[in-house]
Amino acid sequence: MRSRRIISGPVVIVLLLVMVAWPAFDGWSMGSRVPAIGMEVEDFQLTDLEGKPQSLSQHRGKIVLLNFWATWCKPCTTEMPAMQASFDKLREKGFVVLAINELEDDAKVREHIKTYGHTFTVLMDRDNQVANQFGVYGLPVSVFIDQQGRVQEYIKGGLLTEQMINDVVARIQKQEPVKAASLR
Amino acid sequence: MVHAGIRVNFTSIMALFMVVGTIAFVPKAEASCGAVSCFVTIGSQQQVSQEGILTVNGIYNYTPMRTIPGTTGIIPGVDTPNQQLILNHHQETRTITQTVTADLNYGITERWGLEITIPYLMRTHHHIDDLGEPPNGEGQATTFSSDGIGDIRVGLKYNVLPTLRSMVVVGFGVFLPTGTTNAVDSTGTLMEPTTQLGRKQFGLNPTLYQTYELIPHRLNQFAFASYRHTFENSEGYQFGDMWEFNGGFNLITVPWLVLSTQFNYRYIVHDTFKSSLYRSAQPSDGPALFPGDPILIDPNVRNRRVPTTGSSFTAFTPGFQLSLAELIDSPYTRATSVYFYSSIPIARDSNNSLAQGTSFVAGISRSFRLSNP
Repeated sequence: MRSRRIISGPVVIVLLLVMVAWPAFDGWSMGSRVPAIGMEVEDFQLTDLEGKPQSLSQHRGKIVLLNFWATWCKPCTTEMPAMQASFDKLREKGFVVLAINELEDDAKVREHIKTYGHTFTVLMDRDNQVANQFGVYGLPVSVFIDQQGRVQEYIKGGLLTEQMINDVVARIQKQEPVKAASLR
Repeated sequence: MVHAGIRVNFTSIMALFMVVGTIAFVPKAEASCGAVSCFVTIGSQQQVSQEGILTVNGIYNYTPMRTIPGTTGIIPGVDTPNQQLILNHHQETRTITQTVTADLNYGITERWGLEITIPYLMRTHHHIDDLGEPPNGEGQATTFSSDGIGDIRVGLKYNVLPTLRSMVVVGFGVFLPTGTTNAVDSTGTLMEPTTQLGRKQFGLNPTLYQTYELIPHRLNQFAFASYRHTFENSEGYQFGDMWEFNGGFNLITVPWLVLSTQFNYRYIVHDTFKSSLYRSAQPSDGPALFPGDPILIDPNVRNRRVPTTGSSFTAFTPGFQLSLAELIDSPYTRATSVYFYSSIPIARDSNNSLAQGTSFVAGISRSFRLSNP
């Protein structure tokens, strides 16, 4: 009698856990390692808020800032004005901002972008694949990619400022060696 | 024999909460409350802190224990100085344990974390001792109280390639024999190992934690498994192995309020004790022996299973977590959360000893950045 009680309790709980957690194993793609500085990035394609597909490779030849974000992430939304200011200043000089939204619905993201008047490109990473490709498991993350498609900066968690973005872009444009602590 | 008890020590509780400092992210909370050693998973307690960040949890737990209806609470007495196991020697009445725990989590790297858990226990216990002995064989009511540091746990955790939606953390901890083991009861008698604040021996504790965002930033599930093995101590007493399984959900209702629900299962193997074997005298032994000294059954000192130890416990634990940062915009509330859980037993098998009743857990979580990565 005691052994039956002992067996039934954990068995029920384990079954419940498996049923609930099954989507985790089905949709769970293990995160990748953070890309190393200098590494060429694998191309990806996502849709923007107009539903048009955009790929990273179509911006080859420009300096690209990939910014992984979400509307519920306060540091993410706090640094977006700085991203907008840099985008306004440098877009004619070959600078592109791709703000990759993670796991949210279009309506919420569209409302946020409209409210704050952002004009850079917003891409929807609905199934988290691109974030996994870049080893992103916390937000925000910013990745600077040079004209040849190589990672030049990987910034985790910290707030971007307009000066910081401008400095990185200038450094990439001059093709200067990236300073230490690129991977923060 | 599982008993625990505590006096309320509000000064200690407030002192602990004052230790908790400032910072960072607001983790979701998961909680489970077992018998004597209650653990509460406060997100950051199971996860790996970001590199350079120290996350501190201050946790208060209240755990009452009584006999289950239909059980007698009569258990053996463990006399460690004389290496005697005396059957039917005590009748358990009640135990209350209050634990105030400081849990420190530090991110060594983005993947590796160090965790130190320091419990401070306050315990009160009531039982009837010396059943079968003179003057009348009914024993004497005994009280016991003790407070102090328990066995400290030190552990390492590894975050296995997490994603934005899922996380798996494997951990390995060691319990250190830092807890008090020489407390005495109201008659001056050394209390038994299961009542002491520490186990007087090292213990090993591998763990596994998993979480997945079913609806990103709205609903997640989590599961936690733990195994604890304690080696035999210098008194010849070995606590039984313990398995714990927890699983549940967190629901973010509004940005400042997370509702949590989980089921907890704990299975404890019986203890063993190197001893001779006695039993308490009973009325059926006749007037020559009852009331009287315990009656010898086996004088050989050997490893014996301690009856009435070992148990299984299943509970349902609802709770909530408040993000103070979302409620009050202040440097003092930044990335700070408070939480409360109630663990409600739904199935218990205490082997005729005391069983855990409805327990409560409350805590506060906050982080510090100690170094820049």
